[in-house]
Amino acid sequence: MVDIVPISSYPSYIDLLPSIQTCNITNLPENYFLKYYLYHALTWPQLSFVAVVRPKNGYAKSNGIAGAGAAGNVAGEYPKVVGYVLAKMEEEPTDGMQHGHITSLSVMRTHRRLGIAERLMRMSQLAMSESHRANYVSLHVRVSNTAALRLYRDTLGFEVEKVESKYYADGEDAYAMRLKLDGQWMDWKAIEKRIAAEDKAKAGEADGDDDEGEPVGDMGKKEDGDEAEKMVKVKVGRGLGVGDLVERNESQA
Amino acid sequence: MPQPLNSKDQSLFRQVVRNFELKQYKKGIKTADQVLKKNPKHGDTQAMKALIMSHMNQLEEAFVLAKEALRNDMKSHICWHVYGLLYRQEKNYEEAIKAYRFALRLEPESQPIQRDLALLQMQMRDFQGYIQSRTSMLQARPGFRQNWTALAIAHHLAGDLEEAEKVLTTFEDTLKASPSVQDMEHSEALLYKNSIIAETGNLERALEHLEKIGYRCTDVLAVMEMKADYLLRLGRKAEAAEAYTALLERNSENSIYYNGLIQAKEISDSDHKALKALYDEWVEKYPRGDAARRIPLDFLEGNDFKQAADVYLQRMLKKGVPSLFANIKMLYANPAKRDAVQALVEGYVSGQSASEANGSAETNGSNNEFLASSYYFLAQHYNFHLSRNLPKAMENVDKAIEVSPKAVEYQMTRARIWKHYGNTVKAAEEMEKAHLLDEKDRHINTKAAKYQLRNNENDKALDLMSKFTRNETVGGAMGDLHEMQCVWYLTEDGEAYLRQKKLGLALKRLTAVHNIFDVWQEDQFDFHSFSLRKGMVRAYVDMVRWEDRLREHPFYTRIAIATIKAYLLLNDQPDLAHGPISSVANGLDSTDDAERKKALKKAKKEQHRLEKLEAEKREARKAAAANAKSADGEVKKEDPDPLGNALVQTKEPLKDVMKFLTHLLEQSPKNIEAQCLGFEVYLRREKHLLALKCLTAAHAIDPSNATLHLALIRFRKALDSLSEPLPAQTAEVVNAEFEKLLSKSQNLEEFNESFLSKNKNSVAHVQAALSARQLLKPDSKAQSEKDLLATLDSSDITIEEAVSALDLLDNWASDKSAFAQKASKKWPESSVFELN
Repeated sequence: MVDIVPISSYPSYIDLLPSIQTCNITNLPENYFLKYYLYHALTWPQLSFVAVVRPKNGYAKSNGIAGAGAAGNVAGEYPKVVGYVLAKMEEEPTDGMQHGHITSLSVMRTHRRLGIAERLMRMSQLAMSESHRANYVSLHVRVSNTAALRLYRDTLGFEVEKVESKYYADGEDAYAMRLKLDGQWMDWKAIEKRIAAEDKAKAGEADGDDDEGEPVGDMGKKEDGDEAEKMVKVKVGRGLGVGDLVERNESQA
Repeated sequence: MPQPLNSKDQSLFRQVVRNFELKQYKKGIKTADQVLKKNPKHGDTQAMKALIMSHMNQLEEAFVLAKEALRNDMKSHICWHVYGLLYRQEKNYEEAIKAYRFALRLEPESQPIQRDLALLQMQMRDFQGYIQSRTSMLQARPGFRQNWTALAIAHHLAGDLEEAEKVLTTFEDTLKASPSVQDMEHSEALLYKNSIIAETGNLERALEHLEKIGYRCTDVLAVMEMKADYLLRLGRKAEAAEAYTALLERNSENSIYYNGLIQAKEISDSDHKALKALYDEWVEKYPRGDAARRIPLDFLEGNDFKQAADVYLQRMLKKGVPSLFANIKMLYANPAKRDAVQALVEGYVSGQSASEANGSAETNGSNNEFLASSYYFLAQHYNFHLSRNLPKAMENVDKAIEVSPKAVEYQMTRARIWKHYGNTVKAAEEMEKAHLLDEKDRHINTKAAKYQLRNNENDKALDLMSKFTRNETVGGAMGDLHEMQCVWYLTEDGEAYLRQKKLGLALKRLTAVHNIFDVWQEDQFDFHSFSLRKGMVRAYVDMVRWEDRLREHPFYTRIAIATIKAYLLLNDQPDLAHGPISSVANGLDSTDDAERKKALKKAKKEQHRLEKLEAEKREARKAAAANAKSADGEVKKEDPDPLGNALVQTKEPLKDVMKFLTHLLEQSPKNIEAQCLGFEVYLRREKHLLALKCLTAAHAIDPSNATLHLALIRFRKALDSLSEPLPAQTAEVVNAEFEKLLSKSQNLEEFNESFLSKNKNSVAHVQAALSARQLLKPDSKAQSEKDLLATLDSSDITIEEAVSALDLLDNWASDKSAFAQKASKKWPESSVFELN
């Protein structure tokens, strides 16, 4: 039977990436270096999922670092990969809207009609909403791929945004599709409130104590607070090698 | 002594640096030349010019210039830094680290040098060095969170969990207010700290911490998984059950979550009723799921099983789920379940129970689909090794195809049946037919190419693959398969060449996969800095740890084993360097010299023909695509040795093989075939201690292994006939240790014959024992040949085993025709016993 598991949660199943790459090049003409898969898994670890065939006697238990995975651990087992979704957040959205993008999705034709693709998509969509407040998720699909169209449009509710002419390397057009996601956002306001309340409680505690009113640790005192804030906004991925990676066939079509 | 520059030249020099940073390489060279014209010995400028050249594919020339720069200015940190960068490009990390250290000594405050050094220390897993570098980077710029995180990672990976946690906490304490929830770097750092606490084994504290911070972490699923795992391991059952229920509500298609829930609820493995009730609950909650329906078939027995299987099978057959059999076959380890499934599905096609269980009248159309699915299921069932009946399989698949002639999967199964008939020719043909049913689908194209490779049709397979590759890549379709790291194809192609004893091409492909793993290892380099900026440090640490066991992947194990076999073959039969040579002519002793020379000449002629052909192809490609560029934009050169001649013409195959063997033994020590091959290599290298180490390891894995038996005897023989005695100390250890595996007092012939009679029902063991006998008593060859032939009368013998018997006969320089004839009679549909 097939298990749907996250690639990079707890424990981590990042060792599935080579088999995911094989699944991709077995099924689709749009292929990528392993580094591009790594780039996804290390930049948006929450968003990608994989479908694996459960080994005959199940997975080893607690074989992870310091016993992680008491109920079963896929790491080190190298099960057969029969499907995956590779997803990311758009780094520089042209419309200024934070949104997700499906880089690649495929399921072995021998494992169709089990709803694997749908489940992979829903897991990824949920993570985009929760972790990244994605407004919507976008993807490209070949205009001739009726099975995929049915999944995206009829089952998942995507809408065709436009046709991108000659999008694929072989000259075929693509539908650019998207699905609104804001329904599954977390309530950040409530969380902020709790954070503020906890900070206040902590401050109160500290006030009661004469010595510890000031922030602790002199190393981080002078310049940091601000800079640490700034760091969050720093553009990443450029000039580092990794940022130069592009979706090969998509952009060179 | 360094040459001082005047102010104009100084500004020109700064421009060179800028040019380099902006990747304006040609401009940079021009400007550098301008400076050097007036100051020909200015080391820094020479160094910068060298650095730029190295980025223009002129690494060799760059090194020459960088060395000259150093001669002109030994005390320049720029010269040393560049020297290090060049070594880094050459992937000589040790030398690079040395050069960086020199540079840093000259310029201790330089952040770029410190950073480059740190990155390499991480890549080399020099954790102590990395801690040092990171400490001084933090001291220089304590305002950056990533400097704190990096130091924590350094301590963490070095194994000092306490210090790692302390560093993270120290930074947290400097924050005046908690960062907002949008701050993903903070969210990740909190979870990272939590994972470190969990790693200390103090789950109590980890859980407490997680409960404090979890609500504000944006990786919701990870928090849930961590919590469930901690609770389960802490034995807090009720809460653990709740946590796994929550996970299942997110994703009911993960058997691990069910396991967690069952453990938490303390339902015993034998309480089938309670287990079934639990799964039924989830079927009701998520009726479209598969897991909760399928898993109970694993534990249910007897009538309960039959009933559940009936419902499950009918539902899936009606839906036409092609993976149904793949999902069911694991149950066949239990023969009762196997027979029950067979009876059920045979019942459906004979029209007994299908409509009865349905209740309602079916339309003709869906009834047809149900029938076709059932035939398809039976075809796979009778094709499976635990329930094999190939004529029945063929009969059923033909019926399925009759109902749905366009179903690709049905046609694929037809090909698989031919494969099991031992007919690779028909199998490839039939898979090709499946491909023609859906030419736009890459999956079936892949399968068809794979079947052609299994039939040793390398060129044809590549041609088929080229329908989905980017053929404008340098090297054409094969170039694209390399560039896109298509491991499965390179492996199958290499193995096919190995079967044909075309060792050059075999080594070429298999080495290509080895090189892909090198690239994957190198890939992590950029992430040492990238991930710190991104802040996704848990995923980064997971990646670092995974890279350290990268080559335990079955993809690597497989090519390493094939490559070692190829090198051993090359070592034992050096003439194979010139291409495949007919086995009789290549016999080690039995054939006359003239015959051998003739065959060799023929092989060499063929080799030249292939070289010429390859050169022509290359020319044609060049003409077609004058300026082919690869995906990363670099202009790539054509491979100067497409046939692998350089590899196969090695003087030292037993040395070349070591890089494969070392990885294999290090990363897959539990693989008995790996250990046996290690023995083969070390024995030939006369490394007796290492050979014995492999034998001991193999013995610990499976003392009754057939290959091991032969190896033990060979090792004893080798020790008995050493050309010069082992050094006293070695001899002592070897004798003492080997005594435990095979006593010196043991009569080898008796040992072997008793092994033979004890294992007469296992063909693999019989083959090993006959090989051993051949070694111990060469004059019993006729008897051994007879005994080998008799293995064909065993009802257990597989086609694969019979094929390996042919290899054995090759090794003995025996005539294969009698065996091949008898095998052909036993498997009349097969193609693999046709001798040419």
